[in-house]
Amino acid sequence: MGDPFDLAAGWMQENLLIPMLYQFGLMNWEDVSYNWAVFALYGAAQVAITFAVCLPLEHWRPVERWPDSKAVVVDVLYTLLSRVGILPLVTYVLFYRAQVSVSGWMTDQGWVPPTLEGLFPVLLGQQVLTFVLYAIILDFSDYVRHFLSHQFRWWWALHSLHHAQRQMTFWSDDRNHVLDDLIAFVWFGVIALLIGVPPLQFPLLVLMLRFLESLSHANVRLSFGWLGDRLLISPRFHRAHHGVLGAGDRSCNYGSVLPWWDMLFGTADFSRDYVPTGDPSGEEALATGTWTQQQMAGLRRFARTFRRAHVRHGA
Amino acid sequence: MRRFCLLLSFCFTVLGFTAQAMAGGIAFVINSAGASISVIDMATQKEVRRIPTLREPHHLILSPDGRSLLVGDTTGNQMMFLDPNTGQVQQRVPVTDPYQLAFSPNGKFLTVNGLARNQVDVYDAASMKLVKRFPVVATPSHLAYSPDSSTVFVSLQDCDKLAAFDLRTMTPKWTVPVGKTPAGVLWLNGKVLVADMGTDYIAVVDPETGKVLEHVETGKGAHNLFLSPDRKILWVNNRAGGTTVSMDAATLKPIRTYAIPGGPDDMDFAPNGKIWITRRWAEKVAVLDPATGSFETIDVGRSPHGLFLNPRGPAPTVVSSR
Repeated sequence: MGDPFDLAAGWMQENLLIPMLYQFGLMNWEDVSYNWAVFALYGAAQVAITFAVCLPLEHWRPVERWPDSKAVVVDVLYTLLSRVGILPLVTYVLFYRAQVSVSGWMTDQGWVPPTLEGLFPVLLGQQVLTFVLYAIILDFSDYVRHFLSHQFRWWWALHSLHHAQRQMTFWSDDRNHVLDDLIAFVWFGVIALLIGVPPLQFPLLVLMLRFLESLSHANVRLSFGWLGDRLLISPRFHRAHHGVLGAGDRSCNYGSVLPWWDMLFGTADFSRDYVPTGDPSGEEALATGTWTQQQMAGLRRFARTFRRAHVRHGA
Repeated sequence: MRRFCLLLSFCFTVLGFTAQAMAGGIAFVINSAGASISVIDMATQKEVRRIPTLREPHHLILSPDGRSLLVGDTTGNQMMFLDPNTGQVQQRVPVTDPYQLAFSPNGKFLTVNGLARNQVDVYDAASMKLVKRFPVVATPSHLAYSPDSSTVFVSLQDCDKLAAFDLRTMTPKWTVPVGKTPAGVLWLNGKVLVADMGTDYIAVVDPETGKVLEHVETGKGAHNLFLSPDRKILWVNNRAGGTTVSMDAATLKPIRTYAIPGGPDDMDFAPNGKIWITRRWAEKVAVLDPATGSFETIDVGRSPHGLFLNPRGPAPTVVSSR
C-alpha cells in the first residue's frame, strides 16, 4: 500500500490535472503538475493539522484578545498561497530547474556539487539521518539569512512586512513580501549548490518542521519549559523576536525551528515575556492592508531605502 | 540407511533452495521521486529491498557486456553502476544530468540526454569519456539509434521536435517538428517512430530526411513505445488515456487496448509472456497478462519510472547495497 498522500496526488493527476493539460496542449508540464499535486496535498495537510492544533491553543490561552480579527484574514491568504497554491509551483519550476542547470554547469567545469552523502559516505543509505542533518544545516542557514534580513535597510524594508502584523497568529508564518520570498529561494539554492539538498523524500518530516514554524507564531501563552525552550523554538521564544522592541536591528531570537544558533551567537533572549508585536515604523498598510496593498507598501519602503542611499551618496 | 536418507534429504533441500533462488529472477524499478531503486523478486513479485540513490534517478540501461546496470541520477549528477544480478553498487561516476541513456547497438557509444540542461552527451562506452556534447533547443527526452549505430535520434519534448545526430562525424543531421510534446523514440522497420504525448498518435519519420510520413493513432498522450522480444508486436503506453496498446509491428495496426491507469511509462518483457509496466502516479508496477488483459500490481516507491528485468539473475536477497 502506497503513501496515501501520493496516491491522492496520483488521483488528482490522473483525473483532474492530466485531462486539463492534455486539453490545453500542455503535456510537457505533466511531471511538474504531479510534483505540485504532492506539494499541494502535503501543504493542505500542513494547514489542516496546524489549524486543528493551533486554533484550540489560541482559544485556550491567548496572549491577546482582539475585538475583531480582520487583519488575520490576509495572513490566511498568505498561508494558502504559500503552502497549497501558486508558490510551490513557482518554487518547483524556478528553483528546481535553475538548481539542476547550475549544478550541471558546475559538474561540467570539473567540480561536482558536493552532497553530505558524498562528503560522508557513511550516510549513504541512512536516509532519515541524512535528512535530519540536512534539516539542521538548513535551519542554520535560515538563521543566518533571517539575521541578515534585519541588518540591511533594503532587506529589512521587505522583511518588515512579516513583522508588521500586530495580531500575530499561527497564520502569520507565511506573510512575506514576494521579493523577500524570492531572496529566500535564491539563498536556499546557493546552499543547495554547496551541500546539495535531498528531494522531498520525507514529506512528513517537512510537515512537522513547517508545523513548528507556524506554531511559533501562534497567539498562545506557551513555553516548552526551561529545557524545552532551548531545544525547540516555542511561541514564547519567537514572540520576543516579533516584539515591538525587537523591530529593526535591535531584534533577537532569529531562529526558525532550533534556538541553538541564537544561543551560540548570543542573539537569544529568553527573558522577554509575551510582548506586543508589530512594527510601528512602517506604513499602516503593511499591517492592515489587503495582500496587494501590503506588497505595494513593502515595495515603496524598499524603493525609499535606495533613494535615501542615493541622496546620501549625492551629498 | 538412515544416514543415507538424511544425506539425500539434505541434498534435495539444498538443491531445492538453489533452484528456487536461481529460478527467481531479479527486477529493478527506479523510484524517481523517492531517490531509490526497488529490488523485486520476479518469482514472488514482491519488493525485497530498496537501494538508496543520491537525488533523482530516472532511467537505467544494461552495459553491453551485461556486467553492469547503469542508473542515471539526474540532480545527483551521478551515474551509479549496479551488479545486475545482485544490485550491489559497483561504482559511482560523476556525470552531468543523466536523464535518459542508451548504448549504441555496436556497443561503442553511450548517449546520455540531459533533460534539464538541454544537452545530448555522447560518451565512449568503454572509458566513459565524453566524446561530444550536442547543445539542443529544449529538453532532450528519449532516444533511439539506427541499427548500424551511425545515427542517434532524440526527442526534444518542450519544442515539439526530433533531432538526429551523426555519430560517425559527430555532427547534427537535422531537427524537425514531429508533433506535440514528443517523448518515446523507436527504430522500427527502417523508420523512426516518435510517441507524441500531446496528441493521440505516434509519428512515423523518415530517418534520412526527418520528414513525417504518417501519423498512427494509439490513444491520448502517446508516451513510450517498445518492441516485443520476438519483434512482432509494438507496444505503446498512452499517458493521458491510461492505456497500453498492442500493435502489429509490421503494419502498425492496433491489436488490443489494455487499461493501465496511473500513468503507464516504462515497460519490460518477462520470459513468461507477462509485461511489466511502471505506473508513475500509482507507486506501482503493473504485471500485465496480455492474453487475459488483467494485471497484477507490485507496490514500489514514489513515481516509479525506469524498469529492468533480469530473469536469469538469482532471486534477490536482503543484503547491504552500500
